[in-house]
Amino acid sequence: MTAPSPTARPPGVRPRWLLAAPVLVTVAALIVVPYVNILVMSFRVPSTTKPYLPGFTFGNYTKALADPDFFYFELLFDTLRLALTITFLCLVVAYPVAFHLARTTSRWKGVLYALVLSPLLVGVVIRSFGWIILLANNGLINQSLKAWGMAPLPLMYNEFGVVLALVHVFLPFMILPLMGAIQGIDPRLEEAARSLGAGPAKVFWRVLFPLSMPGVQSGCILVFVLSCGAYVTPALLGAGRVHTMTTEVITLLDQFLWPFGAALALILSVVGLAAVAIYARLSGRLMRGLA
Amino acid sequence: MTKLKLDGLQKHYGTVAAVKGIDLDVAEGELVSLLGPSGCGKTTTLRCVAGFELPTGGRITFDGNEVTMLPPERRDIGMVFQNYALFPHMTVRENLRFGLEMRKVDAASMERRVADVLGMVQLTSMETRYPRQLSGGQQQRVALARALVIEPKLLLLDEPLANLDAKLRDEMRFFIRSLQKRVGITTLYVTHDQAEAMVMSDRIVVMFDGLIHQVGGARDIYDRPATRQVASFIGLSNFVTGRVAGRDGSLWRLETSFGTISCGAGIAPGAGSPATAMVRPEAIDLSAAPVAGAFPGRVSERFFLGNLVDYRITMSDGTLLQVQQPATAAFAPGDEVHATLPAERAWLVRDDAA
Amino acid sequence: MKGGKLLLGAAVTSVYVFLMLPIAIVVIASFNSGKYLKFPPEGFSLRWYANFFGSQPFMDATLLSFVLAVVAAAVATVIAVPAALYYVRHAGRWRETFRMLTLAPLLLPEILTAIALLFFYYQIGIGTKSALGLYLGHVVICIPFFFLQVTSALYNISPSLEEAARSLGATSWTSFRRVTLPLIKPGVINGALFAFIISFDNVSISLLLKGVGTTTLPMQVFDYLRWDFDPTTAAASTVSIAMTLGAVILVDRLVGLRAMRY
Ligand SMILES: Nc1ncnc2c1ncn2[C@@H]1O[C@H](COP(=O)(O)OP(=O)(O)OP(=O)(O)O)[C@@H](O)[C@H]1O
Ligand SMILES: [Mg+2]
Repeated sequence: MTAPSPTARPPGVRPRWLLAAPVLVTVAALIVVPYVNILVMSFRVPSTTKPYLPGFTFGNYTKALADPDFFYFELLFDTLRLALTITFLCLVVAYPVAFHLARTTSRWKGVLYALVLSPLLVGVVIRSFGWIILLANNGLINQSLKAWGMAPLPLMYNEFGVVLALVHVFLPFMILPLMGAIQGIDPRLEEAARSLGAGPAKVFWRVLFPLSMPGVQSGCILVFVLSCGAYVTPALLGAGRVHTMTTEVITLLDQFLWPFGAALALILSVVGLAAVAIYARLSGRLMRGLA
Repeated sequence: MTKLKLDGLQKHYGTVAAVKGIDLDVAEGELVSLLGPSGCGKTTTLRCVAGFELPTGGRITFDGNEVTMLPPERRDIGMVFQNYALFPHMTVRENLRFGLEMRKVDAASMERRVADVLGMVQLTSMETRYPRQLSGGQQQRVALARALVIEPKLLLLDEPLANLDAKLRDEMRFFIRSLQKRVGITTLYVTHDQAEAMVMSDRIVVMFDGLIHQVGGARDIYDRPATRQVASFIGLSNFVTGRVAGRDGSLWRLETSFGTISCGAGIAPGAGSPATAMVRPEAIDLSAAPVAGAFPGRVSERFFLGNLVDYRITMSDGTLLQVQQPATAAFAPGDEVHATLPAERAWLVRDDAA
Repeated sequence: MKGGKLLLGAAVTSVYVFLMLPIAIVVIASFNSGKYLKFPPEGFSLRWYANFFGSQPFMDATLLSFVLAVVAAAVATVIAVPAALYYVRHAGRWRETFRMLTLAPLLLPEILTAIALLFFYYQIGIGTKSALGLYLGHVVICIPFFFLQVTSALYNISPSLEEAARSLGATSWTSFRRVTLPLIKPGVINGALFAFIISFDNVSISLLLKGVGTTTLPMQVFDYLRWDFDPTTAAASTVSIAMTLGAVILVDRLVGLRAMRY
């Protein structure tokens, strides 16, 4: 009997990678290949009558980034600005809730947790719809204002409405990681800081917030990425008057300008991912500095 | 009953060598413990025998039949895990029946065997409980019962008592040992607790860094350790280094810087070569008056341990010896003493560090 | 200190109100008799529900959404459960790469995935003529959620349980069937629930991949909202919420209580 080779398998044991095969095939066929395809597509020559004309070009990218009146450049900038605003607002609004949820000993904790989760069970369309009923020109708020003899406010068809609704849509994605991070912080650390003479504000900025950075980071990245790619809410609450990269890309698709749409979509993803990477670097340094 | 044999067993994880080639024979009905510090490869060895790891070299045989590459379910072993690994979704009874069902045992004998084993581990009344409804010690006994009910060729236990409190651990040592003797099953027992290994085993295998340093009974290992590591892992010891001066029958003379001592040895060092002798603290005798063959020293520290007094003796050359004497003997720090290192309690060890 | 607590309480309460408000508003609007929701409400009426249930397009869309979600969840089960097993128990050097690939549909913007799939389908000639593309799109976005659920369930059971089963003579398949599967069943059912909800509520994928002349419930609501305001959509939304809630309660009955047994 020779020494068994390390790769030999006992008889009757099926190769384990068979377990991985279905997901790998699916992801390869429905993610990897289509994304490579869209990359190739973005270098095609656009046409309004068929998917694309023969030949390859950088034209889609130069048009998007070096267009003389900077239309798409500004659009990209607006999209990122909107995403940043939403991320920041989500962080500010989510933090107290996450803190409360992480620390409460109330017997309602389960119910409160379910309340945070439950909006996720309701589709984005429906949640946007709720905001439309509230914010529309003849919506609940403006009708009430009118009834009380006040001038109606422009609440929808502008960035305000879009940001408000998106903050609502993405809030759970901020609360959950924050809560996880805060739960991992020993409450005695806060007490220790208090005993050392730090006031509540100091305790927050010097102890709680730095220690919750991992949660802040995951929450912010998640919300930022989701905001960059949001389509339904801007389309419904912006109703053609708030433009983002995604609404523009869909419009281009309707006009059959696929290669150009592909280029725009890829630019948005790359810029979004780059922003995330920079942010992760920065906050990584911050975390190390405070650790 | 089954003989277990390991031949040059090796296990590498990538570049990490966990087991570096070990040979071991376990006789029918024998309980052998694998003892050694954390990370020395005990669990890896056991898991190779069980079939959860495939060795990267060497072979394993049960009664001369090679099982090296056999999957665990075809080895006919019973295993007790450190965390018990009781199936949480099955009752005690269902846990016990699991292995019998795998063997397609008929219903009547299944009932009988489950009842017998439950009786053996004194858990007859707990049959319908779920594992989480049992105490740690009871879970431990269910795990043992589940491994035994299939009447395996071999019983394997990996630190089965590590999760129990000290008192229960003591009781379970004797319980497992007497059960093992009663059933007469060949057993491999992993532990890093030397007292446990000494109480329970027929023989102890002492491992360091993937290699076996010594195999022997508790006495052998305590009084005649093969290597310096074995001696320091088990109990307390003094190491005295020197040069081999010669041999008188079965004893060797070791020339140290405080005098020449005689000692036994399991190795045969050449005359003039450096060597290390091991002497247990309780083997050294102290007296106030000079005695033939004793070496002068001075008490530098004294600790009272209840049944014993623990001294640090500085010898003429500055060597520090640890000596334990019954609490009746009384020397004070600063006292002149004479230390006798009896030849039959001094032992030359292999010392790779020297 | 007291003031701070009070402030925190007020802030937290208002966030909860903020979270629930638009959803509650939709439900209320669906029972409102007038076309526009006013305060105070004009009266209770089921006429929007009558509209909804009487509308063939809405009924077709609801049926398609339901079937789509069930099929997507079922297919995702077959793909994601083995993947989770592989990742937790067997994956070696490529472990993290494997995880990233599996989670890719979640990490990439959904709308971009939809665009990529749309182009791809046209390139290979399926286009959106058949519903196959839509089904595949839904399966692929369900996988990550399912995978995460099953992975965490697997992490919660010790690998030594499977080893114990093997040591007792069970083959790897038997030990999976008799030990692992019963223990991760809550995770699998939760995963299926997640997949169902993700698919049932999805718009981005359906927007681009729905076949000609077919539509899903959220898509139908979306289209209505873009062109006109009609409280029938509020009824449709409420029905959709009720269906998701029904799925959650069903699952809770199935595993929520059973899981308490051990
Ligand atoms: N799956 C693995 N991959 C890589 N290295 C491993 C693996 N399993 C064990 N090792 C290494 O092999 C060596 C032996 O490990 P083993 O678990 O056998 O030790 P042990 O003697 O049982 O220790 P302990 O008393 O702590 O349980 C260790 O250095 C360990 O880090
Ligand atoms: Mg071990």
